Amino acid sequence: MKYNHKIIASVICATLLLTACSDNYLEYEPEGVLSSENVATAENAESLVIAAYAGIANDEMIGPLTHQWVFGSVRSDDAYKGGGGRGDVDVIDKYEQYNLTIADMGDWMAPRTWTDFYKAISRANFALSVINDIPDGEYAQKTTRQAELRFLRAHSHFMLKLIFKKIPYITENLTQEEIGQMSNDVDNDALWNTIAEDFLFAYENLPQAQEQVGRADRNAAAAYLAKLRLFQAYEQNDQHQVTSINTGRLQEVIDYADKVIGNLQPDFGENFLDGFDNGPESIWAAQFSINDGTTVGRVSFVTGLNSPHGTGLYGCCGFHLASQNMVNSFKTDANGLPLFDTFNNSDIFTNIDTNGTTPPDSGLSVDPRIDHTVGIPGRPFKYRNTVNDSGDMVYNFSWARDPGVYGYFGNMKEQQAPDCSCYVKEGPFVGTSKNVDFIRYADVLLWKAEALIQLNRWDEALPLINQVRNRAAASTQRPIDAGAADIYAISPYSSFPSKDYALKALMFERRLEFAMEGHRWYDLVRWGIAEETLNAYLAEEKTKRDFLANAQFTAGRDEYYPIPQREIDFTGGLYVQNPGY
Amino acid sequence: MKLKLLLLLMVFVPIGLMAQGPITGTVTSSGDGAPLPGASVIIKGTTTGTTTDFDGNYKLNSVTSDATLVISFIGFITIEVPVNGQSRIDAVLQEDAQQLDEVVLTGYSAERKIDLTGAVTVVDIAPIEGQSLSSGNAMQALQGRVGGLFIEKSGDPTGLSSRILIRGLTTLGNNDPLYVIDGVPTKRQEVFASLNPATIESIQVLKDASASSIYGSRAANGVIVVTTKGGEKGERLSVSFNSNLSQQSERKQRYDMLNSQQRGEALWRASVNDGADPNAGYGEIYNFNWNNDFSNPVLNGVSVQPFVGGDSNVPVGDTNWQDELYKTGYVYNNELTVSTGTEKSSLLINLGYLKNTGMLKYTGYDRYTAKINGTTKLFNDKVKFGVNTQISTSNETLVSGDVGGAPTTGLSITLAPTIPVYDANDEFAGPLGAGYSDRNNPLLMQYLNRWDNATKNNFFGNVFAEINILDNLTFRSSLGLDFSDFKKKNIEPKVFNGFVTRSNNRLIYDTNKFSTISFSNTLNYKLELGKHRFGALLGIESIREDFDTIFAQADEFAVEQESYFVLSAATGARTNNGISTQYSLASQFGKLNYAYDDKYLASFTIRRDGSSRFGANNRYGIFPAATVGWRISQEEFLKDSNLISNLKIRAGYGEVGNQEIGNTARYGLYESRYGQNQAQLTGGFFEIYYNVGTAYDINGNNTGTLPSGFVSTQASNQNLKWETTKEWNYGIDFGFLENRISGSFDYFTRETTDILTTPPIASVIGEGQQRVLNGAATSAKGWELNVGYSNTWDNGFSLGVSTNFGAFKDEITFLPEEVRAAFPGTAQNSILGQSQTAIFGYRTNGLFQSQAEVDAHPTGGVQTGNARPGGIKIVDTDNNGIIDSNDRDFIGNTLPDLEYGIRLDVGYKNFDLSIFGSGVAGRIGVDSYMFWNNFVQGRDNAGLGVLNAWTPQNTSSNIPSLSLVNNFTDTSDYIFRNNSYFKIRNMQVGYSLPADVISKMAGMTGLRIYLQGENLFWFTPKGYIGSDPERIDVNRIPVPTVYSVGLNINF
Repeated sequence: MKYNHKIIASVICATLLLTACSDNYLEYEPEGVLSSENVATAENAESLVIAAYAGIANDEMIGPLTHQWVFGSVRSDDAYKGGGGRGDVDVIDKYEQYNLTIADMGDWMAPRTWTDFYKAISRANFALSVINDIPDGEYAQKTTRQAELRFLRAHSHFMLKLIFKKIPYITENLTQEEIGQMSNDVDNDALWNTIAEDFLFAYENLPQAQEQVGRADRNAAAAYLAKLRLFQAYEQNDQHQVTSINTGRLQEVIDYADKVIGNLQPDFGENFLDGFDNGPESIWAAQFSINDGTTVGRVSFVTGLNSPHGTGLYGCCGFHLASQNMVNSFKTDANGLPLFDTFNNSDIFTNIDTNGTTPPDSGLSVDPRIDHTVGIPGRPFKYRNTVNDSGDMVYNFSWARDPGVYGYFGNMKEQQAPDCSCYVKEGPFVGTSKNVDFIRYADVLLWKAEALIQLNRWDEALPLINQVRNRAAASTQRPIDAGAADIYAISPYSSFPSKDYALKALMFERRLEFAMEGHRWYDLVRWGIAEETLNAYLAEEKTKRDFLANAQFTAGRDEYYPIPQREIDFTGGLYVQNPGY
Repeated sequence: MKLKLLLLLMVFVPIGLMAQGPITGTVTSSGDGAPLPGASVIIKGTTTGTTTDFDGNYKLNSVTSDATLVISFIGFITIEVPVNGQSRIDAVLQEDAQQLDEVVLTGYSAERKIDLTGAVTVVDIAPIEGQSLSSGNAMQALQGRVGGLFIEKSGDPTGLSSRILIRGLTTLGNNDPLYVIDGVPTKRQEVFASLNPATIESIQVLKDASASSIYGSRAANGVIVVTTKGGEKGERLSVSFNSNLSQQSERKQRYDMLNSQQRGEALWRASVNDGADPNAGYGEIYNFNWNNDFSNPVLNGVSVQPFVGGDSNVPVGDTNWQDELYKTGYVYNNELTVSTGTEKSSLLINLGYLKNTGMLKYTGYDRYTAKINGTTKLFNDKVKFGVNTQISTSNETLVSGDVGGAPTTGLSITLAPTIPVYDANDEFAGPLGAGYSDRNNPLLMQYLNRWDNATKNNFFGNVFAEINILDNLTFRSSLGLDFSDFKKKNIEPKVFNGFVTRSNNRLIYDTNKFSTISFSNTLNYKLELGKHRFGALLGIESIREDFDTIFAQADEFAVEQESYFVLSAATGARTNNGISTQYSLASQFGKLNYAYDDKYLASFTIRRDGSSRFGANNRYGIFPAATVGWRISQEEFLKDSNLISNLKIRAGYGEVGNQEIGNTARYGLYESRYGQNQAQLTGGFFEIYYNVGTAYDINGNNTGTLPSGFVSTQASNQNLKWETTKEWNYGIDFGFLENRISGSFDYFTRETTDILTTPPIASVIGEGQQRVLNGAATSAKGWELNVGYSNTWDNGFSLGVSTNFGAFKDEITFLPEEVRAAFPGTAQNSILGQSQTAIFGYRTNGLFQSQAEVDAHPTGGVQTGNARPGGIKIVDTDNNGIIDSNDRDFIGNTLPDLEYGIRLDVGYKNFDLSIFGSGVAGRIGVDSYMFWNNFVQGRDNAGLGVLNAWTPQNTSSNIPSLSLVNNFTDTSDYIFRNNSYFKIRNMQVGYSLPADVISKMAGMTGLRIYLQGENLFWFTPKGYIGSDPERIDVNRIPVPTVYSVGLNINF
């Protein structure tokens, strides 16, 4: 029996021991991750800034941050959604048809873009909050990095503002609770100024240029301030209508534009070709890379849906297709000037040969930028006619995915040749390491020209616009070398007879220069001519493309996207919705 | 009874012979007179005894004439026979209808079944034994047999179930039950799935908190307690061999889709309805000959263009892709059990091999299982050592995706029939030209992925020691291991298939290792004092789980041969990722059982669990439970009732905890994400292209190693604490007419509070700021009823009927304001008070028959495109004259109100027949076929129904007028329909060879052959148009109809 008692005793001991030990047993420190204390240190400051840069380029194919083809191009008169019929990614169809009448619009596109920009903002703010606490003497780059981060934060807010108009502005000194209580219902002009404050801080504290070309610099801040003040100058009422143009802001546009140091690439096409990233024209860009140790490269997939669909050289899915209206706008007259009012009276490239090409009508002359912008049957694509014997690079009718609905014109600027070392095909989609430019120097020239015209100094605008046109005129060699029929005719303006003419010339030049780059929509809304332009466009275009039959732009609503309903719900109804939704 | 026997013996047996001598005899069963091998014959008051041999004979030497023999056999009433000088005592044992002494394991200790006071279903193993498990999953045998146990199957060759719920939904997250197999806990379904039914001794389903509380954390969703068999008792070798061959077909579950010609007609109709020129949209595929009059369209004829995309190498096809993708599948399932034992030791070895050739081409599954259970007794039987092991190794090749990730299962329904399987050069054909979806030939994709496989190696088991410290005090120590090694190989060759191509090839290895070590020590004490019976248990348990992953991927292989796809052979980019994580639990628990006079029963348990997932302040949860029972049938006034043979009422209350959150849920975490995409974190199709990394090419080099930073991935919540479920259970067990009718009824109410959720947050809060909260509460109530009837007549005819019903209703009772938006509903009409499976959508009211009807109806919102004759009429629920998102309402739940099963067993002489059916009622669900049968989607094929769509000439149809652009597929009662069903799941006919025939075969004790059919017929409500209502996801392989033939042999 004694023996048994011993066993009982030892069992009880073991029990007690395990109980006592259990607190130790239950301790577990997470592996492979860091706590806030580990991360928020001076040593990590540089890394946190890098993460903030990554944030502005963490695009989603279904939630764009960099290239604005969905919000800025398809929704304008430049392009159609494309893809496999109207139902393919139908949220863009709703954007294109101005048929987005309810705020509860699912998850894709605008709601994700909202979310992803605020992710980028939170990265910048976290880095700022860490860096603010580092004593000045211990971190030589402190002010520079603070300025970069405020630049990044302002960039994201600026983009959000263009898309949604009413947005909460989040800064690093706000607590989580305070952020949760920030309304989006702020005065339009005041919000521009809030964003401008961050850009101003950047402008005042950044070096003119940075050794690491991906960083924001004083040049980029000056350009962004010019852009912001230009948008701000066109004052809008609550129904998004332009009520007045603020001349003081226009003067600021000119002042900041003058501070920007840059130049145009010798050839227009180089802006859209691998090998010319961060050139003199690239004022501010998202950097992408390949063969960099990530799974497929830190490439841009934001236009991944947009490859020509019908050729094995590319992948999926034939989205973002040039409108007939935009193709027609490249027509030039005998003097090499655009046809402001008559360009759309007849269609070009409409006679389809049995071999899938559309030979130009005799006597047709076009702005050479068309062959840098649009895939046209029978004309070389991306300045090539073959790809290492593996395929014919001349754009063909058969490259179009759904010609019965969307016609057969393609996009070109966002594509690279399939044998480019910058090109990767992952699944059905193509990504490239080509940078996405936010601001090209051509943009800066034309902002300044616009401000000058609005300030009745259109003579001073003439050389700026002509500078852009002269570069276009000098950009014919690449397509011709690839076999394009030389039907080019382009000349500078000799003079502007009136402000009205100058403004038309400016607006037309912006359209041709930035066609399908995603700026068109924001231009139309800024100028306050979205309704008249788009409804006139639709009235004509729907006779050529059945799918636009019911599209109609509604002023006072369609200038902006609805605030995502889920964001209103998650903040307990704190945000005000844009009118009409 | 005993008294009567004694009296009889006293009358007929001469008294006074006290001599010693040998005794022989035969023990037989009263039912069929068959001998009972292995019955125990013991001299009362001693440990001396023996067991009967194969023929039920025994022999005992030197028995004093005044001794009494105790003769017992499992499942029979034990009898005592005074020797009274006899030298031959034959005993006839009565089957124990009441199974008075049947002992079940319900939480670290054995209890008599009749003493149970919680909601515990003891699964009847007999009908499961020898049943064909065509899926290789033991869970298949339980479907529809246990009231309150809901199982959704899939047709995957692995046979794994898609969902297993005990008493419906408890929490908002993981609702998987806990399995406790031979005392070792696991949450992994595949461990249970790999058990061969022949080795299962018993299964208990602990449904309510009072029963499961002793298992504490992880028991909130119910517990399935399994005991596997030990070896034979006595000096005996038993061998059994079960074999079956099953043929599987999904033909009955298919969707009827259009052929090439019919699709052209549907596309024409949809195009002209939209006012679009059909030749513009589909002229590359079809040539439409029509009158070009949109106001009165007439189709004169439609012909299919001869070549796909105009390519003369690809003549157009008329492909039935389901025919091409599926074939008849076969399952071979063989298992051998050898079991032996001596007085001191026992051993059981079970080997199994299962092969499923798959119904989807180029898929398949095979699995080897081995089980070794052994025990031995030492030190005068005071100490027992044992080991239980379950080993399985399997290899599977499952459904593949195409280049864009679309599963071939779905493509077999949706891909256009005009694409041929092969082109003129006998190469796989694909989409070409305008009008096709960006999807591949699914047969090609299955073929290209034929080298893909996943291997799973599982080891599960324990070693244990039991020490009888005193006669009634037992100490048990068990060390258990649940281990899995998973390796998935995914070879992605280049694809050249029409215009959907993949120009690079890749190898992806996804591997992980999982291990759980559980160590439990218990002390069991039993005491009988007169009419008082006590049982006490004290225990401690510790569990540690480790999980590690390694993911590796490499691009560019020069040769596309299976043997060349190893990581080292790649010449292109490489990626690898991996994580390590761990958690542990430490627990103490106790139980006290009390019974008075076998009439009044009470049981108390308490468990204290500590989890590493919670912070120091909230680490421990204490989970008590108490139950009482009253066996009314033991009372004097019922004891002699002929009508009522068993009656017990029960009541219980219990609490259980839940800690099913991430191992690091309470921490605020940052990660370095060099180049991750979102798909690596959450999966998803477009997420592959969404970079969420922290690296950036700040130098503009375009290539090379990038600088990188850190990003927040989770906000901290140091106050995280246990989720708790409190449950009341009331039950009654009954038996009438000598238990020929028996059953039980349970009613329960349940409240779950502090539910662990990860609610979405406003985007402005920032990246990686979501956190886990104790944020919601639910309540539930329900009942279960089991009623059975069984009888055997003198002519050998036997009949058994058993039925079970389970009803369940859950309700979300509390959600913090900020969390509500993550659930269906609106601010005005929130999910509070609704089931968590509630569907929120529009109500519809048939189709518009005329333009006048359209004009009179409110429009707006989703009605806009559907406001046309033949369009779906959406109900203006709030009567404000506009259709908008506020017209949505809660239209039903996807979990059924009632589940039920019925089983019929008939036996006559050597034949046995069983039919088993089960069903669900009172639920709605997506009728998947609807998307194709009732709508035309331009790039997909459509179902036959579209040929009967509404037109001005065909107004009686309920299929809306066809359109390519305006298809009302939003959540509504048009899509979500009543999908209740009743299914005949299983029919089996068996024949056992007569004993006199098999006894001539060497030592054989049983031989039975059977035929079985599964998933044979089903009944669905009117308005349900799909095929099998269990098929709720077109991307899963359908649950097949199976015919099996099998053999059970015992030696």
